[in-house]
Amino acid sequence: MFLLLAAAVLLPAMGQEVEVTSQRRLLEGVEGPAYHPVLNTAGDRLLFLTEAGALKMYDLTDNVTTTVADGYVAGNDACWGGDGKVYFVTQRVGEDRLVYRTGRCYDPASRQVAVMSSERHGAVHAVPATRGAAMRAPGLDARSGGDIGSAAWTEENRVHVIVGGEERVFSPVDSWAGYLWASLSPDGKRVAFFAAGKGIVVIDLRGQMLAMLGNYEMPCWYNNDYLVAQNAKDDGHQFTSSQLLLLKADGTWQTELTRPASMTMQPTCGGGRIVYTTIDGLLHEMKINIYD
Amino acid sequence: MKKLFFQSLMTALLAVLAVNVAIAQQPHVYINPGHGGYDSDDRNMVIYPFAQGDSAGSWESKSNLRKGLALRDILQKKGYKTSISRVTNTTADDLALSTIVALCNQSGADVFYSVHSNATGTSARSNFPMVFYRGYTGSPQIANADVLAADLEPYLYASQNTVWTNNYQIWGDWSFRPEWGTQGYGVLRGNYAVANLSEGSFHDYIPEAYRLLSFYYCWMEGWNISLGADKYFNRLDSYGLGVVTGNVRDDRLKRLQECAQPFLVYGDDNLMPVHNATARLLDGDGNEVQRCVTDTLRNGIYVFKYVTPGTYTVEVSSPLHFTQTKTVTVAANEPTYQNFFLKRVRDTPPVVVDYSPVWHEDDPAVKCSVPIVLSFNWDMDSVTTCGAFRLDPPLEGNFCWEDSYYRLVFTPVDAFDVNTLYTLTLDKSAEHGGGTPMEEDFTLQFYTQPRNHLSELAVFPYEDAPVHYKTPTVELRVDSMLDTYNLFQRLRVLDSEGTELLWNKRSIKYNKKGDDYGYIRVPLVKDIEPGKDYHLILDVDIADTAGIHLPAARDIVFHGVDAGADKPGMQVVEEFESADNYFASTGYGIGTGHTYPLTTSTDRLFGSHSMQMVYDFYDRTRILIEPINELDATFHVGDTVGVHVWGDMSYNELSVCFSAGDYTHALPLGNIDFHGWRYMTVPIKDLSNKDYKFVGFRLSRGDESMSTTGTIRFDNVLKRASSGINEARLANMEVRVAGDYIVVSADTWVQGVELIDTGGRTVKAVGGNCLNISDVARGIYLVRVYINGSTATQKVKL
Repeated sequence: MFLLLAAAVLLPAMGQEVEVTSQRRLLEGVEGPAYHPVLNTAGDRLLFLTEAGALKMYDLTDNVTTTVADGYVAGNDACWGGDGKVYFVTQRVGEDRLVYRTGRCYDPASRQVAVMSSERHGAVHAVPATRGAAMRAPGLDARSGGDIGSAAWTEENRVHVIVGGEERVFSPVDSWAGYLWASLSPDGKRVAFFAAGKGIVVIDLRGQMLAMLGNYEMPCWYNNDYLVAQNAKDDGHQFTSSQLLLLKADGTWQTELTRPASMTMQPTCGGGRIVYTTIDGLLHEMKINIYD
Repeated sequence: MKKLFFQSLMTALLAVLAVNVAIAQQPHVYINPGHGGYDSDDRNMVIYPFAQGDSAGSWESKSNLRKGLALRDILQKKGYKTSISRVTNTTADDLALSTIVALCNQSGADVFYSVHSNATGTSARSNFPMVFYRGYTGSPQIANADVLAADLEPYLYASQNTVWTNNYQIWGDWSFRPEWGTQGYGVLRGNYAVANLSEGSFHDYIPEAYRLLSFYYCWMEGWNISLGADKYFNRLDSYGLGVVTGNVRDDRLKRLQECAQPFLVYGDDNLMPVHNATARLLDGDGNEVQRCVTDTLRNGIYVFKYVTPGTYTVEVSSPLHFTQTKTVTVAANEPTYQNFFLKRVRDTPPVVVDYSPVWHEDDPAVKCSVPIVLSFNWDMDSVTTCGAFRLDPPLEGNFCWEDSYYRLVFTPVDAFDVNTLYTLTLDKSAEHGGGTPMEEDFTLQFYTQPRNHLSELAVFPYEDAPVHYKTPTVELRVDSMLDTYNLFQRLRVLDSEGTELLWNKRSIKYNKKGDDYGYIRVPLVKDIEPGKDYHLILDVDIADTAGIHLPAARDIVFHGVDAGADKPGMQVVEEFESADNYFASTGYGIGTGHTYPLTTSTDRLFGSHSMQMVYDFYDRTRILIEPINELDATFHVGDTVGVHVWGDMSYNELSVCFSAGDYTHALPLGNIDFHGWRYMTVPIKDLSNKDYKFVGFRLSRGDESMSTTGTIRFDNVLKRASSGINEARLANMEVRVAGDYIVVSADTWVQGVELIDTGGRTVKAVGGNCLNISDVARGIYLVRVYINGSTATQKVKL
């Protein structure tokens, strides 16, 4: 509980109040340090990376952990497709010292891993979509099916959105270093992403900027109106603080979910759950109530 | 025509295919110039002439960016694909560590370099390159990250533009920072590229901070990192151009210490960098290929970039120096280092332009502590100048050059002799740095004062002094006002292992104008340990305001004791929990002479209080402290009285007084030559065999008295009743400390030997005349010897 802010935060002018209704450690005594958690939309399955780099899946319903891919950097960019499968990228250093990456798909039902895009040098990213997923990179568009639904992702300083089968590309704010961490809101009407040096930006599906939420990282949609993000500080070498924030998507309100000294980071949301880890890889689940 | 078109189309398609294949196999390097902006975490080194926070000064964020941009440009010329996390030095560009990692991962880079410089974080100074990767040393989390580091480090360390103090180091960050667990460096954490963080040098080594201001120097680090990448990707043979670089320094002028605090320099960094030196790269026909001018930022760095391999001449010139040329051979994709040490143009003979001391007949005599200082119009040659220095009468001393050999300082090892006429002759054989001698001899004379050393009046602890363990106070008194600047650093207390004990600097007292003598009085921060020996070290350079110092350093051994330790066999006859029963005056009897208030103090050894007197002798020579109602205890000849006294190092004399109803007998306890508590004893002897009552104390100004005012405290008065044994020294008894034994010899049978510490406790005892002391701590003890039913005591030092 030391991680928690007593989060009955009340802002009378705005009327919002947040209550942390539960909070618990996940996989305590079962798994070692775990990083980069990713919840599925229903919030009942969780992907995470181990200290050794293996990609694992944790079923919160039946409390079972399954290894999806073993070996370090075996599970880069892991995500849940809208079809319930896990999409991820593996990499290998070739004899020429170049890094070669392969897009893969794991089906929890059959427990089989399939190659989705063959090994290639350079970037390959798994892009979650509402009805499947895609492996994307310059010159690569490998999709899980004919209609993968809606999706959003970033490349350099562009945000890509697929809506109704149409791919749109936007650069609504200047960011020399690039964009990261794009995601569709649950209702599919907005996209949140991070612009390096600027912070979290919310746009509509035509690329119109709706709000800038502050210079925080790793935004994830808690519901259609709120996002959870990481607010980390560092001294240029190591992290000096890290906390989770709850941000209203219209930019009008925000509050702390954890203290800066809690070193909490890498939030993920799904099915009303918030899962995050800590600097030393302790997974936690948090549930909240928001009173508007 | 159709055939020709088809052939052209095929050729174009093949060319496009070849380009695409080349691009597909193009190594991709992600560059992260560490930090960003001019903020508190951007490592500002304050170096002259830049003020703290001045963006024109030394910032790690700035030099990291220059290195990173150079690396990007060089790698692009070499055919790499590059990404970089920032291209300006602003706060907005100082991206969060997890953002940098995510950007690198998104880019799909093969390798990642986070470019930094280092700092010791302490007052120590060193300079060497370090490279880190994620994981334990030898066991990287990302395969090949250790190889990438090993390929890079030799190129960084090969730089001859700097001065290294240590060999390079390669670390896994988990091994280097075990206290961080597996958190490691933030830009390596979660980074999927083969990633390194390089600390190219130490920016808190001040000459390096100046070098890092140089665009050329930063460019060269970028070049060297590119060589590491070439080595890693096996592309060293893929680039056809080289570089020539080096450092231009004066061949003998010393680097100026222009910063607020003196800074350490190593090796060639002792020499002054040459500003505005023009370096020209000349081909075999003498044609200028490139030109580079060193900046004015105290680094002297030049570089010729992208040079076609071959043999060249580098010519370096400066308005104040002779031009130098050197031949260099440039190889493809290698650095060629060529440093220059320029000789100054010195076009007149050297002369003494200023000197000290200046003295003429009938002038006041010169202090014996002043150095002889000669200033010259040129930087002088040390060997010929010191060799030309003749002092009559001769005196051993040390030469010191200042201001880059422009000023010679001769300081006597000890001091000039008193009342002496000295004549200095600087023979004309003294040469300046260019080898030209003086045209005439130089002479000066001075007569010295009649005092050449500081005289120590008193010191506590003195040799063998027992010192109560409770935060002891040290005091040195001398015959003139001490120079108090950093004076506390010239006194040290060491324990028996040589560990220095800390002063309580907030409680230091120094002499001030008008005081009778110079002094420093300072307590220790912590207690010492009873039973252990300590050393008070007085440095020889403890000096007065005229620079007159002590005649020699001193190492004074003293002993920690507990003045309040149990004294077996002693009976408490007065506890001084209250001062109500006592009065103090300068005459015998209540109300006679000047009276003093007596109070209680919580600074005590026993119970809750001690009795305290704050006194001033005025024009009197004694103060009596007497009980109003006499105590019950009765003393007899042969008894011993002991008193716990808190002293003020006044050197006044303290006696304990007894009376048998006739008159007062004062038995001397000793001088108050100490600070803090001490147990003082005196045997009752040389009096008639009567019943004596304790009638107080007498504090007297004696010949050695150093203060007419002060504070004295008393705690328990003890009595040891006489056993009837004659404790006078027995005839012909001899006590010797012989190795591990105390051996007592006498002209009769020795029944036993007892060793008693300064607190009165028996440490060891033995029947017979030999007491094994091999397990007894060093210190001062009493040996009590039992002979023929009598005892005798003698002090020994073990």
